[in-house]
Amino acid sequence: MFPKLDPILHSELRLAVMSILAGADEADFTYLKKQTGATSGNLSVQIDKLASAGYIEVEKGFKGKMPRTACRITPAGQEAFKSYVEALKEYLSAGK
Amino acid sequence: MEQNKEMTAQQSLQLISDSFNKSRKDILRNSANYFVLWGILLTAISLAIYLLWHLTDKPQWNFLWFAMPVIGYPLAALVGKSNAPIPQNEVSKMLGGVWTVFGTFALALSAIAVFVVPMHITLIIVIILGLAECISGVLLRNWPIIIAGFLLGVGGAIFALLVKSDAQLLIFTLGGILLLATGFIVKLQYK
Repeated sequence: MFPKLDPILHSELRLAVMSILAGADEADFTYLKKQTGATSGNLSVQIDKLASAGYIEVEKGFKGKMPRTACRITPAGQEAFKSYVEALKEYLSAGK
Repeated sequence: MEQNKEMTAQQSLQLISDSFNKSRKDILRNSANYFVLWGILLTAISLAIYLLWHLTDKPQWNFLWFAMPVIGYPLAALVGKSNAPIPQNEVSKMLGGVWTVFGTFALALSAIAVFVVPMHITLIIVIILGLAECISGVLLRNWPIIIAGFLLGVGGAIFALLVKSDAQLLIFTLGGILLLATGFIVKLQYK
């Protein structure tokens, strides 16, 4: 029996955001947008979904006079990401 | 990138792996600029001290070494600002730590060698410089940096023991050129 893949993470853009945040202390919205190539609207929606699931924290503030949205992964997000990768590995090893 | 694109397990793992690799490459690209900066500075200052010492026969010119952090750290801050912004992660923090430790050891040992107990400072500095570069290469999984660090540390140590007085400064000139070359190789690799 295969573990069910987390539907929150099994989406291209959300997974890309989580992959960036899993390896960084935090990343701002502009950086995530540049790295994923997503539109601002699309990225905002996916960030909200990740935040609602408790996988990331979003902090809105200012850097100088410019507004800045910083995102960072939560311990629950780290755990979910780890479980997701383990599940993927199981799928792949079963397919061999 | 589409949020609802169906992905296979293979594609998902590939996406995660690509993201981690990209982050490593971004750090490498930025670190290349620091290698170039410190390489230029080390070459210029060591060459200046060598020439001044050689021409005037006064070893006091060695005090010019203390200009290195005074000029280098503000310039490094400028390089940091001009680098492409990338988020801090464990590797970038460890790299920063390695070079801070190197700088602290180099400054403290140089000061002790000048004011407290004489020691073979060229030998010590060249070894810890090579070690710091080698460790940076290991952290970044980059062979040119590892090899350059090894050559600098081990080759420099042998050279330091073979040559005397002002000629030892040329070890640092060569070291600076090696750092500079490392920076350019990494830049070429990840441009």
